[in-house]
Amino acid sequence: MKTFYWLIAFSLVLTVLVVALVPGADDTVERIFQQYLGRAAR
Amino acid sequence: MNVIKNAIIIVICILLIPVTAVATAAVKARFADGPNRVFSGGPLVSGELYAGAEPDWSFVNSLPTIEMQLLDPLLSRRIWTVEHQDKLYVWSGYMGNVVGRLWKRWPVQAERDGRAVLRIDGVRYERQLRRIRSGDSLDGIAAAITAKYPSQTTRESIESGDVWLFEAGPRN
Repeated sequence: MKTFYWLIAFSLVLTVLVVALVPGADDTVERIFQQYLGRAAR
Repeated sequence: MNVIKNAIIIVICILLIPVTAVATAAVKARFADGPNRVFSGGPLVSGELYAGAEPDWSFVNSLPTIEMQLLDPLLSRRIWTVEHQDKLYVWSGYMGNVVGRLWKRWPVQAERDGRAVLRIDGVRYERQLRRIRSGDSLDGIAAAITAKYPSQTTRESIESGDVWLFEAGPRN
């Protein structure tokens, strides 16, 4: 499990960096979130 | 028992990744000049501030969305709009269910303090939002909304509170 926790921690940091810094990544996340949110609100 | 516990931990940890992505995108949006899609953006900074006579708002009927920022809080979002009988309207649906009320907080904030800035085609307009709850004018406004958008807005949905409708009038 210890290796798994490290892997998750690394993935979370990588996720933050990619969404924050890679152009268009935040828009992709927002678009997907919008689809789920729209379905949930109906 | 340990296997079940570990499985739950693994699922939660994996779910944390998309949650983190969404949270990061939402935080990043708050520092932007205006909104993108669903997340609230920062204050509308760029664009000339309109000064002059009341515009002919009919041009908004050809625009899919506009940007709207409240003065309290200083957050912006992208919303639908329609012009009807020389008046400009914005609204929020989904207000009749829990998810909608959690998602759409601006209508409650706008009802408390209706001072707003709209950015349309790169021009900013200072407006005052005033909620309309009932009246015969709702028939025409709802018709204008459904003519422009794939919306099921009706006079009844506005009067029941499922849709919160605001007139974006001049600020006094």
